[in-house]
Amino acid sequence: MIKKFEDLNYYELFQIPYGASSFEVRQAYKNILAIYEETSLATYSLFTEDERREILSKIEKAFLTLIDEQKRTSYDNALVNSGEVPEDILIERAQKKAIPIFQINQARARGSNLARIRKKIQEKGTRERASVMVKGDVISGNDLKNLRESLGVELEEVFQATKISPTALDAIERDDITNLPPTIYLKSFLKSYAEVLQLDVKTVVEGYLKNVEKQ
Amino acid sequence: MKRIYSIGGGKGGSGKSFIATSLGVLLAKQGKRVVLVDLDLGASNLHTLLGQKIPQKGLDAFIDKETRNLEDLALPTTIPNLYLISSTKCSLEIANLFYAQKVKLISAINDLPFDYILLDLGPGTHFNTLDFFLVAPEGLFVATPEPTAIENTFNFIKSVYLRKLKLALKQTNMWYVFKEEIAKLSRGTLKSPMELVDILVKREPEKGKLFEDLLKRLKFKLILNKFRGQVTENLGEQLVDVCNRHLYPSFEFLGNISYDSRVYEAIVARHIFIRKYPYTKTVSDLQTMARTLTEKRQQPAELRISR
Repeated sequence: MIKKFEDLNYYELFQIPYGASSFEVRQAYKNILAIYEETSLATYSLFTEDERREILSKIEKAFLTLIDEQKRTSYDNALVNSGEVPEDILIERAQKKAIPIFQINQARARGSNLARIRKKIQEKGTRERASVMVKGDVISGNDLKNLRESLGVELEEVFQATKISPTALDAIERDDITNLPPTIYLKSFLKSYAEVLQLDVKTVVEGYLKNVEKQ
Repeated sequence: MKRIYSIGGGKGGSGKSFIATSLGVLLAKQGKRVVLVDLDLGASNLHTLLGQKIPQKGLDAFIDKETRNLEDLALPTTIPNLYLISSTKCSLEIANLFYAQKVKLISAINDLPFDYILLDLGPGTHFNTLDFFLVAPEGLFVATPEPTAIENTFNFIKSVYLRKLKLALKQTNMWYVFKEEIAKLSRGTLKSPMELVDILVKREPEKGKLFEDLLKRLKFKLILNKFRGQVTENLGEQLVDVCNRHLYPSFEFLGNISYDSRVYEAIVARHIFIRKYPYTKTVSDLQTMARTLTEKRQQPAELRISR
């Protein structure tokens, strides 16, 4: 059965799948507007003024609904409830939610991350043991790794707290001389690393540099 | 496998004859046996586009019953495998063809033993033109990217649907319904034939559905000619999209044909454009189109106007 234009739901109108992302919605909106706007050649003379106004207002309404997370969810629910579309579209969309590239609450997340690491270290009660471990003159990447692991801190957590790239952190821990950052950066990286794990900064930096020299 | 394509479109000068000729030449070059039928009655000029002299025989012989077999009127052209049935010699009043003559002609066209039968139609929405357009199961309609042409194209498509519906109603003795409903409408005009189908379905659900199916089976392919690129880039796709949304989903976009002022020069010099300028964008566009048409795809079942 072919649906009449008036009966199309917003997704059919925009010709997008039910799980479409907001980017797809915007894109589709742009395309459909290009077809139905007053200056469009593609619909020239096809509609009366009133008809065009009606179509455009429907497009506008569809866009405002689909672009708004809350409105869209309730629209989806209404579609499912009316039996027009199968229920799985709701699940599909939940899975397809966009991943934010820029976290607005990044600062807060970072703070809480640091706090979490500190808490972990405290709980473990390994502070003394750690300080014993780093008492040696030379500190290798492996020493640092063992230390971190004994404190129960993941490499990703160090990355989140320090923003040092995981590759660089990995190179440090593996004593991968060729891939280590230049010394000036290395020093500051080691400093941050030590701070996060609440180690003595001076000991760690000097110990590690000696380790590098040795190799 | 025989294929019939009618080439129409509301507006004059949009390049119907040029496209019919060019596609004919390209298909013939592929080794297909092609016949061009000049159905722009009273204003035929395919022979000019093919660089031929005025043909000695034409459709008139068939209409005047001098020749029984329409195939005998298919004259060879300078292109091997390409034949032309001209209507130049027809009397000036031929455009007003009688119904019986038309029916006979249509059935003869259907029986022509060629691989490809291309019907070149005249502009406008006269019912004879529409009937010839409906001979083919698939119609190519030519538009240019200008508001005037778009306007005529929409009217042409609607007229085709309306004509098809009218014929079907007459055949099934449902004509009175049409008249009654028309009378009910205040202005006596219909916005679109789809509206009428809705009314029919409401009045006689079973028969109405049949009519709807009939209209749905019509297939249209759009060609945008004289495309210059500076207008909306995807106008063709947009047009087809609009038709599929607001009419029946039977529309397909065949492609753009680039504008080239040398087409005009070639016509003036009475040269075949494809021969004279084979390495132009325009010709390569036409080639792509010809290839699309020869793709191994079944043409929908014949949609004759049966009596």
